[in-house]
Amino acid sequence: MSKNFKNLTICKDCGLVLNKPELDYSHEFHCPRCNSLIYKFGQDYLTVLLFAFSSIILFIPAVTLPLMSLEILDLTQRTTLVETLLIFFKNGYTAISILITFIGIVVPLFMLLLILIILIPLRIGKKAKYVSAPLKLYENLLEWQMGEIYMISIVVAIIKLQKMATLHIGLGFYFFFAFLVMMSFTMALFNPYDVWNDDEL
Amino acid sequence: MSYKSDKDLGLVLCTHCNSVFKVEEKVCNKCNSKLKQRDKYSLVKTLNFTIIAIIFLFPANILTMMEVTTLGVIEKSTILDGIVYFFETKSYLIAVVIFFASIIVPIFKLLVLLYLLYTTKYNKIYLARNATRYYRIIKFIGKWSMIDIFVVALMIVMVQFGNLSNITAGPAAIAFTVVVISTMLATESFDTRLLWDKD
Repeated sequence: MSKNFKNLTICKDCGLVLNKPELDYSHEFHCPRCNSLIYKFGQDYLTVLLFAFSSIILFIPAVTLPLMSLEILDLTQRTTLVETLLIFFKNGYTAISILITFIGIVVPLFMLLLILIILIPLRIGKKAKYVSAPLKLYENLLEWQMGEIYMISIVVAIIKLQKMATLHIGLGFYFFFAFLVMMSFTMALFNPYDVWNDDEL
Repeated sequence: MSYKSDKDLGLVLCTHCNSVFKVEEKVCNKCNSKLKQRDKYSLVKTLNFTIIAIIFLFPANILTMMEVTTLGVIEKSTILDGIVYFFETKSYLIAVVIFFASIIVPIFKLLVLLYLLYTTKYNKIYLARNATRYYRIIKFIGKWSMIDIFVVALMIVMVQFGNLSNITAGPAAIAFTVVVISTMLATESFDTRLLWDKD
């Protein structure tokens, strides 16, 4: 019985039953009723893997090098992103600060690692079912990663502080910027549904 | 042209791996996810999160967001004060971005959520296409309202000079986070397929 449903699909946004489009690497398909994206192919896995690796490598200098240094009168203070994590435990608003560092820094890194966990077994030749659990986690986290917002906030905070004190931007800032750009590219190139589409081909 | 939805034909879609099954089946045999045609509590969840967000919107805008202490003098500022400060110091672009992110977007999101709840509850099928479009907009812009919270948190970390100069967060930071997170949860739990189902 389930064989009949092989060439059917259902729109996720409006529940319309459709014939499954022919699998093809160059076209996109939209729902005729509500215009949602039914199906589209992303980049091939090797490109995504390369992007993911390079962003993970950029992450290391981004957190360890100083983000910026601030001078008020004679006092100088350097900030790195690792310190951001540690200082939060001393401050009053612990819960909110931990939440912010999590969605700003930890979740994006974790998602890149998840991409590696998903794609490396697939390259070796495992079935899609094997990576179903990390894939589900990846899809759920997609809505909750805020790396790009963190970046914009750093810029806003720097502009705000420039008016209060003398400020020098450090190397860590540029590395972190590069990390976030590479991360957004990786996530834009990786299409989670490819994993299931490929399984059928 | 008559459209047939999954409810009419008794089918169910696995939202994880895109396979189609008969509605009687409970577990997807391809990826072992639970199958559900519609979430029965979707509307109730959305309504609850929307109400929470509306309640917390008031303290978020009235209470203090950030306290700057310079040489013992405490200066408190709300969300609106922060925007006015940027306008006064002539950073117009940032002022506009923050104004949109922390005042316009949350209010717009709540209005759209109420509109979605209204269209679904009273079965206005002719509004479904429009409502779906609005839903996609609020889903896309949802997380950008976190900008102000992030800025405050970063300033706290960057300015730690002891007695000389210090920054702490105020209660509005917590209230505003609750607003953003609950509107995001409300958007997540809303199922657009309900808009298109007719009784």
